[in-house]
Amino acid sequence: MSIAGLASLSRCGVLALRPPVGLVAVRHAQVAAAPAPEPRIKKFQVYRWDPDTPGDKPRMQTYDIDLNTCGPMVLDALIKIKNEMDGTLTFRRSCREGICGSCAMNINGGNTLACLNKIDTNTSKPTKIYPLPHMYVVKDLVPDMSNFYAQYKSIEPYLKRKDESKEGQEQYLQSVDDRQKLDGLYECILCACCSTSCPSYWWNGDKYLGPAVLMQAYRWMIDSRDEFTEERLSKLQDPFSLYRCHTIMNCTKTCPKGLNPGKAIAEIKKMMAMYKEKKTATA
Amino acid sequence: MAAIVRLGSVCHRGVKPLFYRSTLLARPLVVPHKDQESPYHLSARIHASQTVNSKYTGSSSNAASLHWTGERVVSILLLALGPAAYLYPGPVVDYSLAAALTLHGHWVGIGQVLTDYVHGDAKIKMANTGLFLLSTVTFAGLCYFNYNDVGICKAIALLWSK
Repeated sequence: MSIAGLASLSRCGVLALRPPVGLVAVRHAQVAAAPAPEPRIKKFQVYRWDPDTPGDKPRMQTYDIDLNTCGPMVLDALIKIKNEMDGTLTFRRSCREGICGSCAMNINGGNTLACLNKIDTNTSKPTKIYPLPHMYVVKDLVPDMSNFYAQYKSIEPYLKRKDESKEGQEQYLQSVDDRQKLDGLYECILCACCSTSCPSYWWNGDKYLGPAVLMQAYRWMIDSRDEFTEERLSKLQDPFSLYRCHTIMNCTKTCPKGLNPGKAIAEIKKMMAMYKEKKTATA
Repeated sequence: MAAIVRLGSVCHRGVKPLFYRSTLLARPLVVPHKDQESPYHLSARIHASQTVNSKYTGSSSNAASLHWTGERVVSILLLALGPAAYLYPGPVVDYSLAAALTLHGHWVGIGQVLTDYVHGDAKIKMANTGLFLLSTVTFAGLCYFNYNDVGICKAIALLWSK
């Protein structure tokens, strides 16, 4: 190898008239002469369950992937598995850049988006991939989101006005300050990472709305253009919808978009304690 | 012009069928055809339709938020009672402590735990009755101790006296 390198080096020297060009050529020659990099085999343990096979039990399946021929993110690895190794592996994905929220799953014990999660390059440890915790599984890494979406629907996540006769005629203007209140709330992509990381949501997911939905409820409560703040608040007047939050803060810790649902819920609790007074004050 | 017409036809033909198709596609994914046999998806659907839409769509009373405010007030009172007990030990602080401790344990402590973990109407009723009894006995016991013995403040001070 070194002889070949030397030969090419000397040839470069002969060919090159100016030193800088010769230097570049030398660098190229060295790269060409370098041996193929060692394969970096990483184990991926993936949760598998197939509803169409009668009596099938959930199991972990291990896939070996050479990280040199794989993209940097966990989603790249999953796509590689599905394309090249096992076409039956099922998972949701769409945008591959943290915008759609489809590829939410539990990777190495934390809920996150597979497309935003870098593969741990430490090949001595396997990467473990499960569906979102405490959700009904449809197949493999695909959870049943219908309850989550129904809860989102129940908070009426859209602008509501008392007087609908002027609808569509004029823009509803908003001050810069009022608009700024929505920052950190509107970015939520409803991937459900936070809700499914919340122990309270695990135990009472049917009645507790969960951090993602509550943060969107708060988003519409503080929107200066929305006129149903009191009604939105009074909808949460039961022990479960809101008050199952015990400030565990798993939601904020896990959010792949860096949002803070825990704070939004705390703000709702403060508004809940105040809004009746506001109502009587204006009446 | 032709391009606009083409675009229009795409919008009409392309988007609508896409919506129809997406709902058709989503159905079998969320509710697989075998779902009558499997209890999982059925129960998931029941969760979604019943509780979210009918049972917990608000109430006219503000009992829940009052309860929350009460919890905070009791917690703050309890914090304040610490120094008060140190500075002015006596029967007033003794009985206040007995009441605040019991209420705190009843609402913020065990009450929340029961709401979190006890499911099923009959079990919830039993648990709440049990908790009420426990809190009553606790309060009665603390009052008895205050009346017939040295009182809470003195009792805690005695831990350091030896």
